[in-house]
Amino acid sequence: MFEQDIINKFVTNVGESIQLMQPEVALLITFVLALVFDLIFKKTRSIAGYVAILGFIVTGFLLCTADSANAGGFAQMVAIDPFSNFFKLIILLASLIVVVMSLFSKELYTESRTLGEYYSLIAGMTLAMFLLSSSNNLIMMYLSIEMMSLSSYVLAGYTKEIKRASEASLKYVIYGAISSGIMIYGISLIFGLTGTLNLYEINSFLANADINLWALLVPTLMIIAGIGYKISIVPFHFWTPDVYEGAPVTITALLSVASKAAGFAMLIRFIKVGFVDSMFGGDFWAVLHLDWQHIIALLSVLTMTLGNLVALWQTNVKRLLAYSSIAHAGYMLMGLTVMNDAGVAAVLIYFFVYLFMNLGAFFFVLLIANKTGSEDIEDYQGLGYKAPAISVCMVIFLVSLTGLPPTAGFIGKLYIFTALLQNPDFIWLAVVGVINSVISLAFYVKVFRNMYLRKVDEAKETFKFSIPSIVLMFALAIPTLLFGIYFSPIVNWAEQSVGIFLR
Amino acid sequence: MEDLLFYLFAFVVIGSASVVVLSKNIMYSAFSLLFTFFGVAGLYVLLFADFVALTQIMVYIGGILVLIIFGVLLTTKITGVDIKSGTTGKVQLITASVVVVIIAISLILLFTNVEWVNQEFVQPNTTIDSIGFAFMTKYLLPFEIAAVLLLIALVGATLIARRK
Amino acid sequence: MTETLWLLIEVGVKALFIISMILSAAAVLVYSERKVSAFIQNRIGPNRVGPVGVLQPFADVLKLFMKEDLVPRAADRRFHSLAPIISLGVAISVYSVIPFAHYVQIGERIIYMGIAPNVNVGYLFILALTSVGVYGVTLAGWSSNNKYSLLGGLRSSAQMISYELSMGLSIIGVFMLAGSFSLNDIVLQQEGLRWNIFLQPLGFIIFLVATFAETNRAPFDLPEAEPELVGGYNTEYSGMKFGMFFLAEYANMATASAIISLLYLGGWQLPFSYNLIGLEAGSVSLAIVQFLCFLLKILVLCFFFIWVRWTVPRFRYDQLMNLGWRKLLPLALLNIVLTGIAMMIWG
Repeated sequence: MFEQDIINKFVTNVGESIQLMQPEVALLITFVLALVFDLIFKKTRSIAGYVAILGFIVTGFLLCTADSANAGGFAQMVAIDPFSNFFKLIILLASLIVVVMSLFSKELYTESRTLGEYYSLIAGMTLAMFLLSSSNNLIMMYLSIEMMSLSSYVLAGYTKEIKRASEASLKYVIYGAISSGIMIYGISLIFGLTGTLNLYEINSFLANADINLWALLVPTLMIIAGIGYKISIVPFHFWTPDVYEGAPVTITALLSVASKAAGFAMLIRFIKVGFVDSMFGGDFWAVLHLDWQHIIALLSVLTMTLGNLVALWQTNVKRLLAYSSIAHAGYMLMGLTVMNDAGVAAVLIYFFVYLFMNLGAFFFVLLIANKTGSEDIEDYQGLGYKAPAISVCMVIFLVSLTGLPPTAGFIGKLYIFTALLQNPDFIWLAVVGVINSVISLAFYVKVFRNMYLRKVDEAKETFKFSIPSIVLMFALAIPTLLFGIYFSPIVNWAEQSVGIFLR
Repeated sequence: MEDLLFYLFAFVVIGSASVVVLSKNIMYSAFSLLFTFFGVAGLYVLLFADFVALTQIMVYIGGILVLIIFGVLLTTKITGVDIKSGTTGKVQLITASVVVVIIAISLILLFTNVEWVNQEFVQPNTTIDSIGFAFMTKYLLPFEIAAVLLLIALVGATLIARRK
Repeated sequence: MTETLWLLIEVGVKALFIISMILSAAAVLVYSERKVSAFIQNRIGPNRVGPVGVLQPFADVLKLFMKEDLVPRAADRRFHSLAPIISLGVAISVYSVIPFAHYVQIGERIIYMGIAPNVNVGYLFILALTSVGVYGVTLAGWSSNNKYSLLGGLRSSAQMISYELSMGLSIIGVFMLAGSFSLNDIVLQQEGLRWNIFLQPLGFIIFLVATFAETNRAPFDLPEAEPELVGGYNTEYSGMKFGMFFLAEYANMATASAIISLLYLGGWQLPFSYNLIGLEAGSVSLAIVQFLCFLLKILVLCFFFIWVRWTVPRFRYDQLMNLGWRKLLPLALLNIVLTGIAMMIWG
């Protein structure tokens, strides 16, 4: 029978695909096991967290030992390639660090709150981000974005007795619903224009058919708006400050690193596989005669400028870091603008660096909030003497976030600017980027000044932190310093990872 | 005949959807959503997607809208709800209007000027078989992922609904 | 054109037949409910209007017609009038996919007994319509602007939504066996005594319980629990609008019995091959025999409904929800798994 043949063929394909997707399977099991263990051991609140840590370690092991596969799975729904593996590793590291951070969080461990769902939802969200970074089909993209959003809506409002958190969660849901509505509208238009949802088929259709480019612009912008919402590009960033301020610090950290990474992975793949002529050996953007690069350049300028300028006025450190993370999304978009291997590699390097410095900064906020119960910048006065060890780490993170040598942040920015400078059209963009970095120095210094130069004399008692938390802090700070000096391994790794699987 | 039905359903959808947006009584808004969903189901039937049409009715009318109406029933202030919230000023209004007009114009231009991909139409005998077949072969992964998504949604929903 | 005309006439005749059937069925049911309850409670029951009181239902309807149609001042008029129409309309339109007998062949023309019994999403249509039926009750409760009505309406819709799930899931076993959603296919598959009640005992029980809850009948008649809620969602209704709710309740009962007999008791199938009594496929006499067989099954089930109502005490609301979500739902899922395993083993 004809159908039987298809089924048989497909069953073998499923077998091969599952072989490729072992890390995802491990994450799925982690998600379910965390829920089940939480049900069995109700007394131990952190049990799901330990399960998640274990599961993440196993996943990481599977991810690292996997052959450097470059293939599509499940009827080209997903692509397993070096590019996605790089992002998966970043996402996994971020989730792992966030779970460990959560174990120290006083905010979460009050009120006899159950935390099983918290940890298992983080595992579920990690799974969604994994799938997002390797989706090859617009349906998969939409589903994984929805899955990621749903978990993050709940996580953002996890401390629901705090009004601010509930408000953040609600705002997040409303903005999210609208943006995903816009995105799926765009997807449906793309389907109508090309007759397919598969990115490769879209690409080959566009390469062969004569299609009205303005017609293509509308749906593509809609999809970019949907992804842009996730990575908080500027016209779609309105939720970011409120959600970042209201959500638990750990979740803010997760949203600002991991979900941004997944969104960028999807954005790069969507543009590069779908629209950049890759299969036919032509030059970049050959499929699109439109000036796409300038659209993205414009978004990038808007994003970083607004992020940096508004950050200047912030008094809440979480909110300040929220705007700073918007600005960082802008820097990374600069790398996307050139969209050649150097640009993508620069984005990858930047993400790897950003992972440590941003998580570190949020961890500092968390530890201080544990002691003082405040995230206000005024309450940071004199911290440099009250909590000397971790304050030094914070200074490293701040310097790195500004992008000054000898920290890793400098390397990230350096590679992005180098990629830009190779293209004479975009030197102006690099200049804007540098100006923005200077502006950002102002508000990072504000934090530094409060910590070291204000009310120093009154700082008599010192805060005591548990050994594990200090170890974690240094584990984040040391790479931030180290990779600023010894960066060739990351650069090599990133350059090897730009390969996106092409059919 | 089919054209007539199409315009009928389209009219129902648009008309009831505008009541949803414009009515001051949120109960009326919620209830006219019923007709919107019905109209959409009718459009699906015209496209020979009977399974999708009935699923639309079961899920949206039988599940989601009932929950919305529950929510409305249990709120105290049903009529005369002001749609504007406190901070909506002139600036926002003008910007939003401009954006909406631009989007509307570009969509109208898009729909009228573009040649859409037309696939050869075969009137299906039964759609359920082919949907099941597609779910179990080409779209297996999205199908399974949708299951995980729903599990996550379920966990989240119980978490929010739980008292403590 | 003649073909379309014929089709229209055919459908029109069938629809008329079905509607008059439902109305008379409701009358019969009202009468038998009163008589059976009287029997169970050791009373005599209606015996004044006509011989042994058979004309009682007509007197009831006449009375409802003559009554003043009251609408409370605080009520929302539009929805108040709309609600009973939705309830009755849904109860009647379910019949459009129910087959009453197999088919009659007149010349070249094959007439299926039922408006659209072969539509391949038949049962889904019924499920979809029942979910719309919730709105009649909810709107009635809300538009009356009365707290008892509102609570009755809320309870009823919560109950219907909860049991719709187990109902939908319990039936999947039947679909797996039949390989189709079409009610005629499901009936055809239960030839002879291969009734689904024997193949799907667990599914049958779940479906039966869920049906009781769906039709708001005792022991799950919480929406109109008199001690707590006065009259439930229809407290503020009088005259023919109340009559429509009343009619809808009995029409729903008849529908539910019809569906149970179609899905689990072989529908219009005779319990033996029709060749045994010398009838031919497609003949009018066979159709009549099949129809009578179907009617008999419906009547037995209706009697069962009434019997249960006057025997089993009412559930408490939390017990009801507990039963629905924590017992029936997992059991329905189990039923699917068991059916799957059985089909793997015995093909």
